[in-house]
Amino acid sequence: MADTTREPILEVRNLVKHFPLTQGIVFRRQVGAVRAVDDISFTLYPGETLGIVGESGCGKSTVAKLLMNLERATSGEVLYKGEDISKLSGRALKAVRRNIQMVFQDPYTSLNPRMTVGDIIGEPFDIHPEAAPKGDKQARVRELLDVVGLNPEYINRYPHQFSGGQRQRIGIARGLALNPEIIICDEPVSALDVSVQAQVINLMEKLQDEFGLSYLFIAHDLSIVRHISDRVGVMYLGKMVEIGSDAAIYDHPTHPYTQALLSAVPLPDPDAREGRERIILTGDVPSPANPPSGCRFRTRCWKAEERCAEEMPLLAVPQRYAGADTAVAHDSACHFAEEKQHVAHA
Amino acid sequence: MTETGIDLVKDGTAATPGTPLLDVRDLQIEFHTREGIAKAVNGVSYSVEAGETLAVLGESGSGKSVTAQAIMGILDMPPGRITGGEILFQGQDLLKMTEAQRRKIRGNKIAMIFQDALSSLNPVLSVGYQLGEMFRVHKGASRKEAKARAVELMDRVRIPAAKDRVNDYPHQFSGGMRQRIMIAMALALEPDLIIADEPTTALDVTVQAQVMDLLAELQQEYRMGLILITHDLGVVADVADRIAVMYAGRIVERGDVREIYRTPAHPYTKGLLDSIPRLDQKGSDLYAIRGLPPTLTSLPAGCSFSPRCDRAREVCVTERPLPVTVLDAEGVPVPGRSSACHFWKETLHG
Repeated sequence: MADTTREPILEVRNLVKHFPLTQGIVFRRQVGAVRAVDDISFTLYPGETLGIVGESGCGKSTVAKLLMNLERATSGEVLYKGEDISKLSGRALKAVRRNIQMVFQDPYTSLNPRMTVGDIIGEPFDIHPEAAPKGDKQARVRELLDVVGLNPEYINRYPHQFSGGQRQRIGIARGLALNPEIIICDEPVSALDVSVQAQVINLMEKLQDEFGLSYLFIAHDLSIVRHISDRVGVMYLGKMVEIGSDAAIYDHPTHPYTQALLSAVPLPDPDAREGRERIILTGDVPSPANPPSGCRFRTRCWKAEERCAEEMPLLAVPQRYAGADTAVAHDSACHFAEEKQHVAHA
Repeated sequence: MTETGIDLVKDGTAATPGTPLLDVRDLQIEFHTREGIAKAVNGVSYSVEAGETLAVLGESGSGKSVTAQAIMGILDMPPGRITGGEILFQGQDLLKMTEAQRRKIRGNKIAMIFQDALSSLNPVLSVGYQLGEMFRVHKGASRKEAKARAVELMDRVRIPAAKDRVNDYPHQFSGGMRQRIMIAMALALEPDLIIADEPTTALDVTVQAQVMDLLAELQQEYRMGLILITHDLGVVADVADRIAVMYAGRIVERGDVREIYRTPAHPYTKGLLDSIPRLDQKGSDLYAIRGLPPTLTSLPAGCSFSPRCDRAREVCVTERPLPVTVLDAEGVPVPGRSSACHFWKETLHG
């Protein structure tokens, strides 16, 4: 379980990533920027799972890449145990990366088809020889296969000989090889069939308990995120719009976007068709290259007023709930934040 | 409806009352692969009435899409081969028709909506041209007429500023808008039956809700039969009247949507329902169906689900269970409800 009284293991402060839009071939000049991630802050505590949800294009995968330093942040800080890692390079970066590993979405393209499973899982040891087991590397790889529920005899097989769920287990074993503290999971189960999804989710929870891992769990499936997360952040168009405990977000959402998102999820319960409030949003997500002024959700929001176009709402506990000692008092970036129940359930 | 230009009067070929709109009987399809013969569909039967929504639920490889392709007449043959069964549409067997006869039905009477709108639309033709094509080819409309009908259709599926966007190309539309164009195309000739194969899987939740609402509304308006093929238990619960659950090329359970969700009578259905996390409650451990679906080239002799089933006994391995009518607690048969499990009673009641 998360221990929020301890020091955060990862702290993200005002993280920004703008991808430049350029024109011209010889004389390239910047004509604008895609604001993929625009001033995001959150913390991750040891042993905790922080879920990040949002629709495609909201910037959640860019956040993952920024934390891994696969993309350079435009500005902002990523503090790992108090040290800013967003500007590290070379040997210092390599040392940090040992402790932050990633599990990717697509188990088909994220494993090299020409490498055996043993080579794939053992590769981290070649890159970080100081972390490699003394002596028999193979034995450690077999152990890892066993940990993720695969037959250790499969060590010499190739990825195409495995099903999607098994491949995702291989990806997880590779992520575990260096005994990291943080694993960033970008849509780890969205490519899997329903019955296999549950197997992988259960495995991830077991591994978390066993090794005390912290997960940053990025997904678009709100039900899975609720299941696995201690806290959840909701992103829209490069901004974090609401963040809080899973009960706060799912049972007491105060941001209109979160409410609409939850109400749109079809429940696997035909009796819930009635009695549940459905909010059907109009229109599409605006372009992140040219986001609306003020609140970014205002173009699709039923509560929007003039103030929303002029003033960007800050991510903080809404005034009306300040001091309240319940789950409803959590950070929400809306001028008119108000609790709405019966969106996630009847 | 004249203001939308969509003519609702059907030509008088409707089947005699009593026969369902579509009746698939004991359909069998196999594929010739390098690994041997893959039995993709092994005796599937289902029927759809006008105005009704049947959800075909199954995971990848269960045969749900292949069945739909056979109904539509777009199955790749070879490697596919229909080895048995009938597909009766308004009382006539589609499998006995000539290709010319089937062409008259395809699009006109039975239309299909695909999962991936971007790859189903031609990228080098404007959406107006592609929508209008339906009227030019099937109804002999002029170019001008066809374009006007295309605009009406786009209005119908609520694409904003349809007049200005009719000459745009597919890539200029968002995913949700493209799926609306696919729906418009399917509706163009007012078919009696629509087959929607994972129509919202590629869309974000808020857009998915918009598209599903639109589809359900239009279906009611035109009294079409709808076959919804999906793996998403949430979408099914939201819109379906009846469900057929498929596993390894067979229907393992069928019945009214509420009854199946409340009291599943097949261990596979029960396992699926237990293995999805819920939005409205935080559960502890998820139930996970163990193992993997069987390979279609070597199906187990008895029940295909037996290697993964907690209830499996010896009889499950040796003897294939046939669908039996499910009885309720008082012993009365539940209409339209069946389960292909030796132990359906035990599954249903405990």
